[in-house]
Parts: sequence; C-alpha cells; structure tokens
Amino acid sequence: METARKKFNWRRFAIATLVLYIVFLIGPIVGLDIPVVYAAIKANPLQLVQFLIIGISNGAIVAIIALGYTMVYGIIELINFAHGDVYMIGVFTSLTVLSVTGTLESKDPVKITLGLILALVIAIVFCAILNAAIERLAYRRLRNAPRLAPLISAIGMSFIIENIGLMWAAQAWLVPSFGTTGGASQKVFPDMLGILFASLGWNINLLASSGLALRLTIKDLLVIVLAVVLMTGLYLFVQRTRLGKAMRATAQNRDAAKMLGIDIDRVITATFLIGGGLAGAAGLMAGLYNNTAWWFMGFRAGLQSFTAAVLGGIGNITGGMLGGFLIGLLASFSDGYLNARWTNALVFATLVLILLFRPTGLLGEQTGQKA
Amino acid sequence: MKIMRSGITFGILAGLLTFLFGGWSVAIIGSLMGVGLGMGLGNGLERKDPLKIAKDVAPTALVAGAILTLLSLYQNGFVQDAIGKQPAQLNVVIFGNLFGFLGAVIFTTLLAGLHGLPEKEELKWKMILLALLVVAFPFIDKLTALRWTAQIIFALIFVILGLGLNIVVGYAGLLDLGYAAFFAIGAYTTGMLSSPVHGIHINFWIVIWIAAGMAAIWGFMLGAPTLPLRGDYLAIVTLGFGEIVPVLFRNLIDITIKEPLTCWILPMFRIKTSCIILVEHYDLTLGEKGISPIGRPSLPLIGEFESSNPITWYFLIIAIILLSVFVIRRLRDSRLGRSWMAIREDELAAAQMGIDPVKTKLAAFALGATFSGFAGAFYAAYISGIFPSVFEFSTSIIILCVVILGGIGNINGVIVGGLVLMMADRLFLPALKDFLASLLTHTVLPSISNPVVQLAVKDNTNPILYRFLLFGLTLVIMMAVRPEGMIPNAQVRAELHPDDEPVIEAETPMTKKAIKG
Repeated sequence: METARKKFNWRRFAIATLVLYIVFLIGPIVGLDIPVVYAAIKANPLQLVQFLIIGISNGAIVAIIALGYTMVYGIIELINFAHGDVYMIGVFTSLTVLSVTGTLESKDPVKITLGLILALVIAIVFCAILNAAIERLAYRRLRNAPRLAPLISAIGMSFIIENIGLMWAAQAWLVPSFGTTGGASQKVFPDMLGILFASLGWNINLLASSGLALRLTIKDLLVIVLAVVLMTGLYLFVQRTRLGKAMRATAQNRDAAKMLGIDIDRVITATFLIGGGLAGAAGLMAGLYNNTAWWFMGFRAGLQSFTAAVLGGIGNITGGMLGGFLIGLLASFSDGYLNARWTNALVFATLVLILLFRPTGLLGEQTGQKA
Repeated sequence: MKIMRSGITFGILAGLLTFLFGGWSVAIIGSLMGVGLGMGLGNGLERKDPLKIAKDVAPTALVAGAILTLLSLYQNGFVQDAIGKQPAQLNVVIFGNLFGFLGAVIFTTLLAGLHGLPEKEELKWKMILLALLVVAFPFIDKLTALRWTAQIIFALIFVILGLGLNIVVGYAGLLDLGYAAFFAIGAYTTGMLSSPVHGIHINFWIVIWIAAGMAAIWGFMLGAPTLPLRGDYLAIVTLGFGEIVPVLFRNLIDITIKEPLTCWILPMFRIKTSCIILVEHYDLTLGEKGISPIGRPSLPLIGEFESSNPITWYFLIIAIILLSVFVIRRLRDSRLGRSWMAIREDELAAAQMGIDPVKTKLAAFALGATFSGFAGAFYAAYISGIFPSVFEFSTSIIILCVVILGGIGNINGVIVGGLVLMMADRLFLPALKDFLASLLTHTVLPSISNPVVQLAVKDNTNPILYRFLLFGLTLVIMMAVRPEGMIPNAQVRAELHPDDEPVIEAETPMTKKAIKG
C-alpha cells in the first residue's frame, strides 16, 4: 500500500501536461485564451463578481427549466425535447397578456403589479396545459414503443411548437410591439420591472450607494427569490404530498407502482403539468430579466437546461437545481471572458464531457446502462 | 369499387396540383399520377393474366384521367382568372391535357397490368420503365419549361443524405441528430480545396473522394468516444456535435496560434524568449460570408458543368445515387450489414454471439458519414457557394424526416421519402405560396373590409412559414400512426409492433441467406 501511494504516476502526469499544453496551444482558436482571461480577471476583479451575479440569475431560470426535463426523464425516461419550446411559449404568452391588458403602456405601479401577477398565472396555466397536451398527443401512445420512437416524436413536437412561436411573433394585431418585421426577428420584451421600480421611485441598483462599480438589481433578487420559492415548493410537493410520493414511486419502478394501485397516467400527466407550469414561470422571468422574446430562444434554453439536468444527475430534482446554477455561471463566464458566440459550443462540449466521464451527473444515482 | 375510389382520389389530388403549376404541368402530373396509381392498384390485385388486369383497371384509369383533365381545364378557365393570370395558350392547353390524360390512362393500365407477369419479369419491366422515366424526365422538363429539374436535384441531394443516415439510424439503430455536420464537413472540404479563397484548386473528381474521406474520418473521431453511450444520450451527443460544427465554421475566421511555451510559460518565470507565432489572423472559413465560388466538375465531351444547365448535374447526382445504392445494398447484405441489424435488434445477444458492438457501430457511423461527404461535395460544387446557416440543426432533422417518412432501414423507402418530402418542401410549398398570394390579392383581400383582419389574413397565409410544421408533423404523425414508414422494411415493422403477431415470412435478403446457410 505504502509503495503504491508513493509511486508517482508519470504516465498520468505526462498526459495531463500534454492536455494542458494543447489547451494552451489551440484554446485561443475557440476563445479559451487563458493568459488573456487571467489578465482580464486580474485587471478588474469586480467584474468577476458581476458575472457571478448575472450567472446566478440566469442560472436560476435555467434551473427552473431543467426541473421540467429532469422530472419527465425521471418518470418516463424520455428527453422531452419540446420542453425548451414550451418555455418559449411561456415568454410569448406572458408578453401577450401584458400587451392585451394594457400593462405595457401603463405607468401606474398597482396596475403593473397586477398585470405581472396575471401574466405569471396565465403563463403557468397555459404552459402546464400545453405540456400535458403534448404528452397526451405525442408521447402517451408510444410509451411501450422502442425507446427512440418517443424521442423522435418529441423532436417533431419541438419543431411544431417552434413554428407556432414563429407565427405568434408575426401577430402584430395581437401585440403591437411585435412590429411588421415578420415573426423571424427577435422581439423586445419591455423592461416592466424597471418601469415599475422607476414609477415607485426606487433605484433599481441595490449597490448604487456603495460606490462600487457593480450592479445587483432588484430584478436579480426577484428572479433568484422566485426561483428559490418555486424550487422549494416543488421539493416539498414531491417529498411531502401523496401525489409526490406516487411520482417518486413511479420513477423508481413503473410496473410495481401500477400494481400498488397508482394511476400511472394521472401521475405522468401531473408531472407534465408541473414541468410545463415551471417552464411558463421561467418564461415570464426570463422575458423580464433578459428583455427579449424570440421564437428560437427555446432551443438554446432547452440545450442549457438539459445540460444542467444531466450535470446535476438526470432524474434528481436537487441535482437539476444545482446543475442549473452551475450552467448559468458557465454561460455567464463564457459570455464575459471568452466570447458569446462560443457559449453554445462550450455548453455542449460540457454536456458531452459529462456524458462521457460521469453519465450519472454530480448527484445522480447509478441507474445502470439500460439499452 | 375500391379501386374506383382510389382512382377518384388520385384524380382529384392530381387535378388540384395542376391548380398550383398550371400550363404544361398537367402532362407530367398526369403521367406521374398514372405511375403511382398503377403501382398502387396492381399491388392490391391478385396476380393473374396481365391483359385481364389491364381490362379491370381501365375504367378506373379513364375516370382518374378524366377528373384530372376536367380539373385542369377548370383551372385554365376559371382559376387562372381568380389569381389574376392569363390563361395558357390554346396549343398548350390542348396538348398538355391530351398528354396528361393519355399518360394517366396508359401508365395506370400498363403498370397495373405488369403485376400480372411473374414476379421477376414484373420487377424487370418496372425497372426498365423507371429508368426510362428517370432519363427522360429532365428533357421533358426542359421542353415544357416547368423548371423542376433544379428542385429535383435538391431532393436527390437529400436522398443521398437520407441513404447515408439510413445506415446509421435504419441499419445500426443509432439515432444521429447531428448528421448535417458531416454534410457540412464534406461541403467545406470541397469549398476549401477548390476555390480561390485558399488558392487551392483540386479537380472535383478528386475532391469528392477527399470530402467523403474527411467526413468518414470525422464520423470515426466523433463515434469512437461516444458510441458506448446508450441510445438517447448518444442522440444528444450527436446533436451537440451537429451544433458545434456550424459554430466552428461560422467563427473560425481569425485564427491565431501562439506556441505557449515561448509566449507565456517561460516569460512567467522571467525568462526572455522570442514568441513563436505559428498562425496569425488566419481566416479559414470566411464565416457568414461563406466560401464562393467553388470549382465545378468537368467532363471531356460535356465540358465544365454550368449552373444554367441543370441536366448535367441531374445525371451526375443520379450516377452518385446509383453508386451509393449499389454500395449500400452490398454493405447491407454483407457480414458487417448483418451485424448492424443484429446490434439494432439486441445488442447484448449480438455481443454474446461474438460481434464487437463498438467496432460495428463505429463502422456504421463512419460509412454513414461517407455518403453525406459525397452529398456535401456535390452540393458545394452545384451551388458554388457554401454558408454555415445551411448546415444547422433543422437540416439534420429534415434528413431524419426523410428516413422516417420513407421507411427506416429500407433503401427504396428512403428514396421515395426523400423525393416526396423535398418536393413538398421545395416545389409544392413555393408554388402554393405563389398561388395563395395571387389568389388573395386578386380575389379574397378586396372582399375583406376590416383592415386588421385583412392584414392578419395576408400575414398568415404564406405556406413557407409553415415549413417547420410540415417536418414536425411528419415526425409526430409517422411515429404515432406508422413508425415503420411508407415503405417499410419487414424486420423493422416486426420490431416496431411488438404486440402484433410475429411476421414469419419476412423474406429479406438476410433471411434468405440465413436459410441457405
């Protein structure tokens, strides 16, 4: 034992050095220029904190979407490819509600608050129903089909919903701020929270008085608080309620759960409802935080969230939250220090590396390689 | 009675198609409808005397042809007026409809009648007819000035892509969601090696092999680490690869490689060195601007292929498809092909029988990628320009649609699926768009008084905007209703319907071989 520990593993050392050398050599091509990044951090350490704040806020949104992926995967072992697009529909639903109720033009804080709450409720309900409808239409009859059939169906659903988003973004008669440029362009989601706090006379930047060159806005706090509330609620729901117990049982062993009298269809529908509702809430939050609405935004968000779910350990709710925050940070640092154009590729590279080296994720249990 | 009903359906559908294209299209649509109807009717009938079958089918053929002609005449008389176009000239109307009617009747009876011959004879004659049709098509197209050939070439590119993906998805049962990446690698290899951008001009006939080789190498390199992953994770990893490749091609526009030891590591220890810079500010792919122009193939008698003359390109791609089909058929029936199917059906059992799953899957990945390398090289030379946006996720999914619509694991199915889907996308939707747009401006919109409704109707009736819906619905509906595709492979069908009775007489080459021993 002693000798084995003392023996220095030259082979491993050589490989590690070689990998490091290659990263230094080729890294700059994809923006991973370590000396430059190091210099940037050294020159302005506060910026790091700033990216941390942005990363955590975006990570909160990613985490909420990731919960939808991870819950569905936990129960029916399906990558619900359309989930990111349900989130996109959440953005458009809330924007439409805000527009139709006249909240977008309003300057009255009470009216804005009521409008936002209404938008949140409608987005949650609509996306929940949409997600459950997707399950009913596209996945239910494929439950006993070969594993890839529902995945293909899910990809098809994703395309259909993206097309719906594309058409939605062209309806200028419904939401005048969409303009007449057609559905393909990115739309502005007005900064309602900024307007709300301005009308209340608050400074949106909480650190304005500290004199630091940092921005920690009420928006950041609101997004994080809302995310934490939703996640805690979900955690308590799954751990404490009867339906949550049924969900966990179904996730463990569907047949055994059925034999014990659990209505599997009801449990699965409930899972999709909850996942969709969370995506709808995330949609409103993301719209308010990032101020864009785009028919294709679901794809990127879906990719980040799925990576987050896998990173945390797919099927594991706590893992999904943790993974979401980590991916948010990764994306934020990549946007800030490397280049936004490489972020997607970086997230995907992360996903590939996790799947290759630790397919169970950070908190996942050993599920075995079922074919 | 049943055959009469399908005759009427075909006639009405084909007639409605003439609404979109007008003019000479009725002649081609009629003949194609005849081929389809004849094959369909023939397969449904018992094998008996050819003349008798022809006699049975003749009334249906006449009815279908008559419906087609009537609708086509109605189109010329009234619909052209409603969409604000001049009716076609009289000679076009007379001969177009005459050829359409005759084509429909003759091909229907002929192809249905062929079913009366013994199986081998029937196949032989059908192949001859098909070959004649394929060869004659571009010339007929040129005569009638329909300009469909250019669009059909696109459909055929996707047929090759579908054939390649079919090796991966259909034979080996691995879902590859990033197949367009290999298409991109093939196209960009061609672009970089035969364009003025890098000053390299290699002959197309050599580049196409280099492109295929590059695609195969990348298929191998992607597959080697990822193939031990299980099905849905593998799908996501390939999706990731498919996303990263266009990002790379889009952004490799300013490459600087500095040797790290001399540039950073030694200076950190305050050792003065001169920094070795290997590459500085090198633009490899030209990003969004894309690479163009790209060298074109040329042949001794024909000279250089030109974009204005699609016929040469058409025959080139037909040749590539024939070669691919030949190779893929040989592969499918080879030891390797049979082990792919064994892996697809039960990996554990196959591994137990001595098949190395990873090596077999790797071969499927690399060989599948090879064909998209061919397609990429052809595409780059044909368009003479490549842009990163062509190779995105949606392209991978369109290729997947082709395979799934046609029939997973079936070569004929993939060819039919590719033609149907891509013609719907590239011919039918644009024609429908023009038709609806002119119908709206001339007839519908003036009668709507409310300006809001008018604008809403105008904005939402462009069928091109519903492209994704077309592909999405294809996937969802096929999975729900007929997961084995339009022309299924018997084994795949048996696999996808586990609850049904087992298919015992699945007479594929594989089982034949197995029986022979």
